[in-house]
Amino acid sequence: MTDLESKLTAEIANLLDDKKVDVFIAFKKAESPLHPQPAFFTESNQLGDFVYNSLCQNNLAAFIPRYPLSARIGMVVRGCENRAVNHLVVEKQHARENIFMIGVPCEGLVDWHKLVNRFGEEMIAVDEAKDEIMISYRDRQIRAPRQELLHDSCLRCVHPNPLSADVTIGELKPEGDPTLARTEVAAFSALDNAARHAWFRKEAERCIRCYACREACPMCYCTECFVDHGVPRWTESTVSPAGMRAWHIVRAFHQAGRCVSCGACERACPMDIKMTYLTEKLNEDMRTKYQFECGMDDKTQPPFAAFNLDDKNRFEL
Amino acid sequence: MSQILPKKNLKQLLSNWAASYEIYAPQQLEKFAHFMPTNGSELLYIDEQHNTRFPPKALFLPQSETLMKYTRFGAAQETIPESKPRIVFGIRPCDAKAVDLLNLMFLTEKDSDPYYQARRKKTALIGIGCNIPCPSCFCTTVESGPFGRQGMDALLTDLEDIYLVRTLTQTGKTLFAEYPEATEAQEAEAKAVQQRSLKLIDPAFETKGLKAKLDSNFENALWQKFADSCLGCGICTFLCPTCFCFDIADEAQRKERVRNWDTCMFRTYSLEASQHNPRPTRRERTRQRVMHKFSYWLDHVNKIGCTGCGRCVRYCPVGLDIRAMLREFNQLEAEVANG
Repeated sequence: MTDLESKLTAEIANLLDDKKVDVFIAFKKAESPLHPQPAFFTESNQLGDFVYNSLCQNNLAAFIPRYPLSARIGMVVRGCENRAVNHLVVEKQHARENIFMIGVPCEGLVDWHKLVNRFGEEMIAVDEAKDEIMISYRDRQIRAPRQELLHDSCLRCVHPNPLSADVTIGELKPEGDPTLARTEVAAFSALDNAARHAWFRKEAERCIRCYACREACPMCYCTECFVDHGVPRWTESTVSPAGMRAWHIVRAFHQAGRCVSCGACERACPMDIKMTYLTEKLNEDMRTKYQFECGMDDKTQPPFAAFNLDDKNRFEL
Repeated sequence: MSQILPKKNLKQLLSNWAASYEIYAPQQLEKFAHFMPTNGSELLYIDEQHNTRFPPKALFLPQSETLMKYTRFGAAQETIPESKPRIVFGIRPCDAKAVDLLNLMFLTEKDSDPYYQARRKKTALIGIGCNIPCPSCFCTTVESGPFGRQGMDALLTDLEDIYLVRTLTQTGKTLFAEYPEATEAQEAEAKAVQQRSLKLIDPAFETKGLKAKLDSNFENALWQKFADSCLGCGICTFLCPTCFCFDIADEAQRKERVRNWDTCMFRTYSLEASQHNPRPTRRERTRQRVMHKFSYWLDHVNKIGCTGCGRCVRYCPVGLDIRAMLREFNQLEAEVANG
């Protein structure tokens, strides 16, 4: 158990013992070294399995809408998860006073795709030091620089620190450099229509419609997704190019002003499909056109959801 | 007796076959292995130890398959595929066995599925064994193994510069007719490789009596526990080589009736027109996946519907591990017995 894990365990145990939360959502060890499992602790004596490391790839805020508003939920949050919680509060998916956040400044998540694509599927354990990842096989161990294995969303992360946690453990990190995300968005935007469409098709048409991106996303909490709607059907359910493009475009559209750049969608994808180039473009548009960044507080409505009877602007399409 | 295929001859062999067969073999898609058509000129991705992400069942039961085309007033036309004879090269033993299991569902004596049949009957499976199994593999637990032969026409063993070829059917014999017999030393080397691999795979869970334990714990609280972590995505079932549930949809704008893979993980699975769903929550759906493979398959055809390929373990985004789930059920019964 790392020093951070011990501190977190103690903090969580107190919350559970003092009955300040009904459930604490965190991770526990799983047999597969690459995917710690979301766990729902209700008693401090269950914390023996607790784990917190750079392979905890899910955005646990995605589990919040499963609970009734009255449930008192505890969570360990990184910067992006804190923002997701904030935005779920904005969208009235939970009450802020019923969420207790233990904040941890984030070192960035190790992308399992990068690990297996580079080091194969035979690894039996993955450990980490400050700047290095150690990959163990049955008969040998190799080391690789952490930076090379971080998920793309983490490489361009601007807000690694929790913003409004109830307690923060660990030293705050410097804010990230926003130019990297902007440079990537600019590179995509600079392409002509045909090249952008080719890029989009190449990614989207590999899709197997498993909807792991949707299920992993804290903002995709609709009880009925448009692709599941039977009468009328809004889109083909077939894995045809048309059906897959419809899914990827509408999924991204629904994130306008609602995406916290956590990258959980991409990390869940079994086919290594890039998706954040679309949502990052939307995020950049929100920043430049509306001076809005999702989840920076738990009150501000995103521009496309804000509604005001006294709105002086013309209705435009 | 086995034969020898030098690795340097593989391209030539595939291109010879390509004259009369459509060939599918693992190649690199993005950075992972994926079955794609080849005529021998492409770089294959079979010496790597990993299996393909996407299961080769899709070559027999495509994720979306047009069953018929129709017009507004005319007669509907069935679209049964008329493919050339095919070779699936480089299929792993777990996946070849899975195709054999799918035969039990789609090629029964009473009523065969003509779409599946058209593909399966014309396809030869040339397998390759796994010298270094992944830690997520559990083929030996479910009556297969890293060099299992079930469903194959020939099985290759990778011996550095050569493949040792064990032909298993007349089709296999014909395909490799011109290759020389292996020496005794080569046979012995292959056997050593196979045994070494076998030893690397630990038993993952007890299958004896498992069905009874699952059946008697249908309402157990464990199902809710597993469902709590489950995201409800389709990865485990879509990547599974034996999952075959499908749903039929009319793509009216294209005037096609299409059979799509369905998955018990989705909330639309078994949703009835009345909006009633007998599996209304993740609990029932998570249970369905496990019960289908380890209980209902046994009821229907007396086989476990899992070949231990490990894909559901490797790619689950929340680390839900069917091996661990089943061990908990094993444990449960033991506790009752002790009490």
